Amino acid sequence: MGKVVLQSAYNRSKVALQKTSRGAKIRIGLLILALILPFLPFSTDYILHIAILVLLYMILALGLNIVPGFNGLLDLGYVGFYGIGAYTSGLLTYHFGLSFWVIIPLAFINGAIWGILLGAPTLRLTGDYFAIVTFGFSELVVLFLTNEIWLTRGPLGLPGIDVVSIDLTLFGGPKWEFIGELPYYYLAIVMVLVTVFVMYRIQDSRLGRAWFAIRDDEVAAVSCGINLLVYKVIAFAISAAFGAVGGSFFARWVTFLSPDMFKFWESFLILCMIVLGGMGNIWGVMIGAVVLVSLSEVLREILPLLGMPVNVRFLAFGLIMVLMMRYRPAGMMPIAAVAAQMRAGRVKRKKVKPAVGIKK
Amino acid sequence: MFLQQLVNGLTIGGIYAMIAVGYTMIYGVIQLINFAHGEIYMLGAFFAITFISFLGLPFYIAFLVAMACCAVCGVLLDIVAYRPLRQSPRLAALITAIGMSIFLQNLAMIIWGSRPKPFPHGALPAYFEKTAVTFGGVNLSWFHLFIFTITIVMMVGLNLILKKTRWGKAMRAVAQNKTMAALTGINVNRVISYTFALAGALGGAAGIMVGAFYNAIYPTMGYVAGVKAFAAAVLGGIGSVPGAMLGGVVLGVAEALGAGYLSSLYRDGISYAVMIIVIILIPAGLFGKVLKETKKSM
Amino acid sequence: MKPILEIKKLCKNFGGLEALRDITFEINKSEILGLIGPNSAGKTTLFNCVAGIEKPTDGEIIFSNSARSISIGGKKPEAVTALGIARTFQNIRLFDNLTVIDNVKIGRHCRTKSTFFGAVVRNRYQRAEEKAIIESANHFLDFVGLKGRGQEIASSMPYGDQRRLEVARALATEPHLLMLDEPAAGMNPQESRDLMDLIRHIRDKGITILLIEHDMKVVMGVCERVVVINHGEWLAEGEPQDVQNDPKVIEAYLGTGAADAA
Repeated sequence: MGKVVLQSAYNRSKVALQKTSRGAKIRIGLLILALILPFLPFSTDYILHIAILVLLYMILALGLNIVPGFNGLLDLGYVGFYGIGAYTSGLLTYHFGLSFWVIIPLAFINGAIWGILLGAPTLRLTGDYFAIVTFGFSELVVLFLTNEIWLTRGPLGLPGIDVVSIDLTLFGGPKWEFIGELPYYYLAIVMVLVTVFVMYRIQDSRLGRAWFAIRDDEVAAVSCGINLLVYKVIAFAISAAFGAVGGSFFARWVTFLSPDMFKFWESFLILCMIVLGGMGNIWGVMIGAVVLVSLSEVLREILPLLGMPVNVRFLAFGLIMVLMMRYRPAGMMPIAAVAAQMRAGRVKRKKVKPAVGIKK
Repeated sequence: MFLQQLVNGLTIGGIYAMIAVGYTMIYGVIQLINFAHGEIYMLGAFFAITFISFLGLPFYIAFLVAMACCAVCGVLLDIVAYRPLRQSPRLAALITAIGMSIFLQNLAMIIWGSRPKPFPHGALPAYFEKTAVTFGGVNLSWFHLFIFTITIVMMVGLNLILKKTRWGKAMRAVAQNKTMAALTGINVNRVISYTFALAGALGGAAGIMVGAFYNAIYPTMGYVAGVKAFAAAVLGGIGSVPGAMLGGVVLGVAEALGAGYLSSLYRDGISYAVMIIVIILIPAGLFGKVLKETKKSM
Repeated sequence: MKPILEIKKLCKNFGGLEALRDITFEINKSEILGLIGPNSAGKTTLFNCVAGIEKPTDGEIIFSNSARSISIGGKKPEAVTALGIARTFQNIRLFDNLTVIDNVKIGRHCRTKSTFFGAVVRNRYQRAEEKAIIESANHFLDFVGLKGRGQEIASSMPYGDQRRLEVARALATEPHLLMLDEPAAGMNPQESRDLMDLIRHIRDKGITILLIEHDMKVVMGVCERVVVINHGEWLAEGEPQDVQNDPKVIEAYLGTGAADAA
């Protein structure tokens, strides 16, 4: 009896596997690989640490991607939300011992609120101004974190943040604390999966289409009844929310925060992942995170051997940005829409321009 | 106290103005925020000390040579990085500008190291330190006067160039309308190169003066100064040269007074805050026009 | 019956330039009204004022949909669209890089509601709405004759089809009034004839049409009434044949003295 059930389940899964496309197979394969990574012979704590870093940056890059990738606006202050999320989470844990599971939704809301506060007055401006305002905002966040010592302990940093734990003592169960890299690794995988899920769903929805419309042609978008400001603010808020969630995870993972972890470099690095992977492409952005975190770690090892400061690795990132814009402006994994748009103007559309009236 | 702060503010403000003018001019001709402009400023300072320590040039000569080098750097920056993207969307050019900024900053770190470098001992003219004038309890050193003079001379010179010379007229024509300018026979790319050269020279000069004023030169100096100068350009109304000059001075004074009377910890924050507030409340700045959205192409 | 759109003493200045001066006319429900005039007469500016892209300097624009009459001068374009006025552009403005079906789906934006929460959770309401969006998008594609071409990229379509797609997108907003800005520009005679059929077909659905057009064959063929403006001023109004023979109109188009010669 049991055998038969098992057999039919096997057959069903076989059929299901045959039905799945090649892309889906690759995805499932990668997921399985990610799940068994900690048990592979070569995996050490260091490898796991890097892997968690990759996953964290995937969340961040996917969150940022909403603004330049889906809406075509440059956001240079993403790290500000990351920092706000990290410190809020750190302080709430430090002072009130709030559970991680409570903090995550709070962080999401907190990030979204900051996104709205900053976005609502500035998103009516042109893209250039918006970029520079976000930059100024993130610098102000760092200054605040550095100088408000009563709150953040300033440059000394905020140590002793509790690790994540699953506390079932209330129901007479055990309390399990996340010690070492392994539990964080799986937690990060879950968070990435949720983020990817959300992104895919947004992409194929009324909200996503409104953003793509804005990215493509603002005047046409307006004439379809899309309120530009509202939809840009929504985008910015959701993006900021993911930044704050990433920051919360970061705080509880490394259990120590200092203001210089949230400098402009970070925004730049995350932006670079998107540019490299392909703006607007969920998979591309994730691969960008893998490539750049790995590259960054390799350079971090090599550069001191060459007698250079570790920060010099940003030379490579700067160069990547410039070269990508020059030769592959839509990234290594371009999505058609962005690719066409980044080419726009280079290849003039062959539209007949009829007689001109007074135009705007 | 107040006067001393005011004098310091005016000195630094003049220097901001020189950088801000570069942002504004470049924005005027190609509608791009040239994030790498702060790095040109940083390079100016490094060129100067390099010429002094390796070639043994005297300060004033090194000053001029470094300015020339910065002009060349500006032109190269445009040709290598921005010119290929003239027809691309704004986003691409903006990302390239940031990439170049980061690239140059780290290149400088590799070449000159990340620690602050002073001018070689005795490289700065000895009388710089001496007091030139004293009024109301404020000591004005010769160096203050030197900076004032250079700033004023350059600003006046720039205005003359823009108003009187053929270059300047061509530059203003290109800023108005590239297509029309090209139709009247102006070589637009050459005019853009001139603009970058001029902006680079001014930025470089500013870098040298700041480097000498604080006697510390380091690869990330262009980052903060660049943003502040940009804030000054925004305050004055981006695209407007007199606006940028005024914006720089106002910002310098606001910063010095703010640091003196409010909180020195937020010294840099003042510029960011001014910039954000100005952008939100009066995006046109003091003298400028509101930017028109031209998302499709630059 | 109350006219669907009343334009009263509409003025629009750009700095010192008077683009529109005291324009007054009405559009009746379910008619096809042509708006004609020589180049730079102010036709597109008038469109932009109605659509909310330009803010009128003076005067009133009153729109009466089935429910009520509202003054729409100076309202935001997205609000105007939501009230029931859709438009196409003189130089086609599609979402070039998106698929044909997505273009029309975006047109459904103002008639649908779900946002972030709906997108992520996909509750029953959102699923039903999404299904309805797809159905009506396909319906409008069929209607303009682009059946089965939903997966093409908008900019890769031939010119005439792009025009049709733009109309489909405008129809997807469920307008009471549809404004077409030189829809026949750049079309060959066959395409123009198809377009005229399409315009009549749209009107038969009860949608009022305001049409700017240079192609006189189209204007004469499809419009029931014509308003002529010149140099930003109202010049003439009436049935197409009458207007065509009006000396003032001929003069405006061909220059002083032309009327006598004709």
